[in-house]
Amino acid sequence: MGETITFWVLAVVSVSAALGLVLSRRAVYCALMLGVVMLSLAVLYAVQDAPFLAAVQIVVYTGAVMMLFLFVLMLVGVDSSDSLVETIKGQRFWAIVAGAGFAVLLGLAVGNAVLSPPAGLLGATQTAGGNVPALAQLIFTRHVFAFEVASALLITAALAAMVLTHRERLTEKPTQRALARARFLTGGSVVLPGPGVYARHNANDMPALLPDGSVSELSVNRVIARHDVEDERFPDDPKLAEAIKQAVEEESK
Amino acid sequence: MNGIQPPTIEYGQLMPLLLVFGAAIVGVLIEAFAPRYLRKAIHVPLTMLTLLGAFGLVIVQVLRDGVPTAAVAMGAIAVDGPSLFIWGVILVLSVVSVLLINDDDNFVASAAAVPGSPDEEEAIARGGAHTEVYPLALFAIGGMMLFAASNDLLIMFVGLEVMSLPLYLLCGLARRRRLLSQESSVKYFLLGAFSSAFFLYGMAMIYGYAGTVDLGGINDALGRVGGQDTLLYLGTALLGVGLFFKIGAAPFQAWKPDVYQGAPTPITALMASGTLVAAFGAVLRVFWVALGNLDWDWRPVMWGIAILTMIVGAILAITQTDIKRMLAYSSIAHAGFLLTGVIATGEATQNANSLSALLFYLLAYGITTVGAFAVVTMVRDAGGEAGHLSRWAGLGKRSPALAGIFAFFLLAFAGIPLTSGFFGKYAVFAAAVAGGALPLVVVGVVSSAIAAFFYVRVIVLMFFSEPAADGPTIAVPSAGTAAVVALAAAATVVLGVYPQPVFDLADAAASSLFVR
Amino acid sequence: MEPAEKIIQHAGGVIGVSWLMIALPLLGAAILLLGGRRTDRWGHLLGVAMSLASFVVAVLAFVELIGLPEAQRRRGVELFQFIPGMVDMGVLIDPLSISFALLITGVGSLIHIYSIGYMSHDPARRRFFAYLNLFVAAMLLLVLADNYVGLYVGWEGVGLASYLLIGFWQQKPSAATAAQKAFIVNRVGDFGLAIGIFVIWTTFGSVAYGPVFGAAGGADQGVLTVIGLLLLLGACGKSAQVPLQSWLLDAMEGPTPVSALIHAATMVTAGVYLVVRSGAIFELAPTAQLVVTIVGVVTLLAGAIIGTAKDDIKKGLAGSTMSQIGYMMLAAGLGPAGYAFAIAHLITHGFFKANLFLGAGSIMHAMNDEVDMRKYGGLRKFLPVTFATFFIGYLAIIGFPLLSGYFTKDGIIETAMHHSAILGWLAVVGAGITGFYMSRMVFMTFFGEKRWADDAHPHESPAVMTWPLIILSVGSIFLGGYLILGNTFMQFLAPAVGRPAELPVFHFFSVPGLATLALVAVGAAFAWMKYGRAQVPVVAPRGSFLTTFARRDLYGDAINESLFMRPGQWATRFAVFFDNRGIDGLVNGLAAMIGGTSGRLRRIQTGFARSYALSILFGAAVVAGALLLVGNL
Repeated sequence: MGETITFWVLAVVSVSAALGLVLSRRAVYCALMLGVVMLSLAVLYAVQDAPFLAAVQIVVYTGAVMMLFLFVLMLVGVDSSDSLVETIKGQRFWAIVAGAGFAVLLGLAVGNAVLSPPAGLLGATQTAGGNVPALAQLIFTRHVFAFEVASALLITAALAAMVLTHRERLTEKPTQRALARARFLTGGSVVLPGPGVYARHNANDMPALLPDGSVSELSVNRVIARHDVEDERFPDDPKLAEAIKQAVEEESK
Repeated sequence: MNGIQPPTIEYGQLMPLLLVFGAAIVGVLIEAFAPRYLRKAIHVPLTMLTLLGAFGLVIVQVLRDGVPTAAVAMGAIAVDGPSLFIWGVILVLSVVSVLLINDDDNFVASAAAVPGSPDEEEAIARGGAHTEVYPLALFAIGGMMLFAASNDLLIMFVGLEVMSLPLYLLCGLARRRRLLSQESSVKYFLLGAFSSAFFLYGMAMIYGYAGTVDLGGINDALGRVGGQDTLLYLGTALLGVGLFFKIGAAPFQAWKPDVYQGAPTPITALMASGTLVAAFGAVLRVFWVALGNLDWDWRPVMWGIAILTMIVGAILAITQTDIKRMLAYSSIAHAGFLLTGVIATGEATQNANSLSALLFYLLAYGITTVGAFAVVTMVRDAGGEAGHLSRWAGLGKRSPALAGIFAFFLLAFAGIPLTSGFFGKYAVFAAAVAGGALPLVVVGVVSSAIAAFFYVRVIVLMFFSEPAADGPTIAVPSAGTAAVVALAAAATVVLGVYPQPVFDLADAAASSLFVR
Repeated sequence: MEPAEKIIQHAGGVIGVSWLMIALPLLGAAILLLGGRRTDRWGHLLGVAMSLASFVVAVLAFVELIGLPEAQRRRGVELFQFIPGMVDMGVLIDPLSISFALLITGVGSLIHIYSIGYMSHDPARRRFFAYLNLFVAAMLLLVLADNYVGLYVGWEGVGLASYLLIGFWQQKPSAATAAQKAFIVNRVGDFGLAIGIFVIWTTFGSVAYGPVFGAAGGADQGVLTVIGLLLLLGACGKSAQVPLQSWLLDAMEGPTPVSALIHAATMVTAGVYLVVRSGAIFELAPTAQLVVTIVGVVTLLAGAIIGTAKDDIKKGLAGSTMSQIGYMMLAAGLGPAGYAFAIAHLITHGFFKANLFLGAGSIMHAMNDEVDMRKYGGLRKFLPVTFATFFIGYLAIIGFPLLSGYFTKDGIIETAMHHSAILGWLAVVGAGITGFYMSRMVFMTFFGEKRWADDAHPHESPAVMTWPLIILSVGSIFLGGYLILGNTFMQFLAPAVGRPAELPVFHFFSVPGLATLALVAVGAAFAWMKYGRAQVPVVAPRGSFLTTFARRDLYGDAINESLFMRPGQWATRFAVFFDNRGIDGLVNGLAAMIGGTSGRLRRIQTGFARSYALSILFGAAVVAGALLLVGNL
């Protein structure tokens, strides 16, 4: 009875989270929705007498994989977004048709199957002495080769990441001395202002000022600026306010 | 503890596989520890020796022990006659492809550098290329061997991924037209993941039906389990989708032209030959071993797919203007021809006939394909390979030998007598006729005729058109590339004139069919 | 008559590896063609070595074969399955095929050696030897194969080699045209042969000689006649018999050793081989046999007449070749009694005609490649060896008593006479004309006064060229007597082609023989009057309409032109017209439909991964739906 209630609750939660994952426009929301789906799955595993799998699900997926997703999103920038305008004629329509058709087929097929009453995981693993030993037995005997060969997959993945992202240093790393020399050679502002001289805020929503007192466009945080413009909350300094407005205008172009 | 019996692993029989994976890992270690200037000098002999050694091991195993009759590694892997033959074929094709890979001019100098950036120019100026391609290729080859020899769905899935993952990456490492190459890599990855999901879903369905992922166990369950047939059908369909994607059967073929075109040509050669062979090995295992008694149900569907594949491949190839895309569509059409052999099941002798025909076809087609792509690498423009067909005009006047060999390969694709392609097609179609698939053979012959049109068009273009004034140059081939072209041409001739020994070998490999 | 013996499977010994005969020259050709310039320095030596090696194998196989009891002298060697379930490739070594093999490799080797000298100044000598080796391999495949498909492969192979060699000096437009002409005319014959083989396959369910000839007795006579006529069409093409004779004269554009080897001694005799080999079929189809003899007689007269009017020494010899093959064809149409004479004449002709051609080559070598006999004259003092050997060949071909040609040609004439008086007397007339044109050739070339061009400095050829001439002339003297006297050759061939009911006896002075000799003497005397004693004008006189008739190759080309080319052009024009309106509508429509479908389908290939994924999803849904549907039916 408890299992049934849990199932129906989690079914609603996880399916709506999955839908949210697909339909949400913001990458961070998607990631969080994914987290919800994974957690629901973990609970379902636990309810079905598979505590080990539930723990692994949480540790590996919710813990590691999800965090990785979020890290990447943060690195890329939460405010960067792809265009969601569909350019291919009929793509959406046919995708919906195909997806719905496929779902109907799945539903028909699974619904029409006459399933014998389940034995339950506890019963199934009893001979091996419990869930974890049963799993161990399968992994280390029958499926040991698959288990070992999966390492090839991991090595490949690691190697692939290295190949795609690691850039060998082709020239010597410039020393501080070399940098200073280069700066003096080009002339320009020879002496940099000391730290903290011009900054009046270290808050993320305050743009930085350049040595000549003007606002550095580069330092305007687009997300916060957008909110500021929407809420008409501008800093007192007109120069800063102007810079924020400009940044938002530029972005919307 | 109630104690777990340690598993028995038949290392002797698995040796070719283990050797390839072991060498791949050693290759990774070389990447980590060997100085840059030495890496290639170590990788090339290591890779070649590994592949040749594994091939030798396969032969030794056949000669010494004959064909094993039981699955090994706790029932995970079936080292049977077809497996050993397919391993041999994959290894031969890999050796030839690695000879092609062994050419700095094909791979990017620094994959991490943004295309067109100063970083990239600097990396190119320093010379060299990524040497990681060697261990990656070895992993892919190991995956192919595993894929074709797997005896349960789980190991098949792992094999599928081990085979595909390195290929996804390798596709993105072309030295020239890098954006195209990276695009192809991403597409292949996304669609590959999509199809893998189908495969997994199907696997879950089948497991739900049979309660096992063992191919033999599924076969046993077919007669035993009742009332859940819909699960079985759904599982069969979804497993099929995953496999059809890999062989490039319509309507799952869309990735092939894009990926073949974008990938570095040696990798295209490896994919077009090795992957196809491995994927057909897996198709046969799933549909013959696990679902062999269900053939009455899957055969009509596969009929449709085979017909669609042959027609789509042949017809779409006609309007292609890029040589690699054209070869990709030709590969799709050939997948269709091969499917006619998969359909031709029946009694044990009929099965053995079809199987032997398929094995011969795979070998013949694979070798010719590698040769054709090797020729493609040699026809170059300022911007790399001259892919556009108009650039090939008049090639026969500039370089008659090369154009002649390429024309010969094309004739082999078309299945003209005295080439290996003829006997491959003949054997498969004969088996299909014997298996009662006459209409399918008619479609096959018609699409062969359509396909012959675009092969011959290229030949006409090469020999009867005036060469463009600024036409492509013919690169002086490295020893490896020259060897590949020579080997492939020789094999195409020999298999076309004197195919008997290979037929006998394929017959012997097929006679015992698959172990369960 | 006694039928041929059964074929016995053979393994081991030299016969077991007799395929080496084919493989060695083929390997030589492959090395020379693929090796490129690297092999330029020693390529010709390799070519000669391969040909000689093949000859050695042939001799050893021959020795092993005659070591066997007579009834067991047909040995089949299985090699491999060529087309599964249809053709098993194998080698058949029997007296017939080994005779050919010895001729091809023996004369072939001599001509290889001769070519070292003849082609020594040619920059493409390696390519020449590659083609020669290719020819030897293909010709051996033709005669050694144990089935019609193998024969056909060899048949096409020699056609290819012949094409390549006629057009060897492709920079000369005349050579290129001649090569194409030879190829196209041969196509007609090859087409007949191919269809003949198809009919054999549908009739007998096999293409191997053993089963086909074994079952020939049970087949319908009409079918056998059709097969025979189709095979004859093939033979006519390859052997330059009327009506497919027109290519041979033009084929003389090739280097002279080629003319000697391919267009005199070996390839052109392939048609005779085909007819004799298929004797079991022809003997059951008398109509086809009759047509063979008629073709033979017509050709032997036509060739002889053409030979009388040619001033080009090689074309004169080519006409003679046609004529001599006509004799062989005539004999081959006469059943087992004629086979031995046909093949014996073929072999002796191989020797003396190669001798004459190589002699002609030697003369041309001396005369700056001049071929016009009107510009020769008085050469016997300057080319003593060439003259001596050429003269022996001349005596052999006109049938001078006790030389090779005397025995073999006389045998044919007597057998023909025995068969039908008309055929026999026509053959006698042909022999008389032979006496005239050959004498004319000798007198114009070696006797009379010098009519050379100003820059000609005739000199004897090097030893590498004269030795083959000497060896060939020795064969031209003795071979005929050895083969014919006591029916040696007929006894030897019997296991392969059967034996006539009664063995012929050679009469030295029979009526036809004496008549032949008399006519030959008249011809020679006439030639002496016109060309030996009298002045030979350097520019050919206009001559009578008969001379023009002969000079124009009996209007063979004109006939072809008006009979085939013009109507062909009309038909083509009509077809093009019809094609544009009618068929094109259909075919182009089909092509356009396929192209259009292709273009439309191509638009689905958008290049967007998401649309590809959609197609996969669609496919998956359809596959799943279809399976569920099929499963629940």
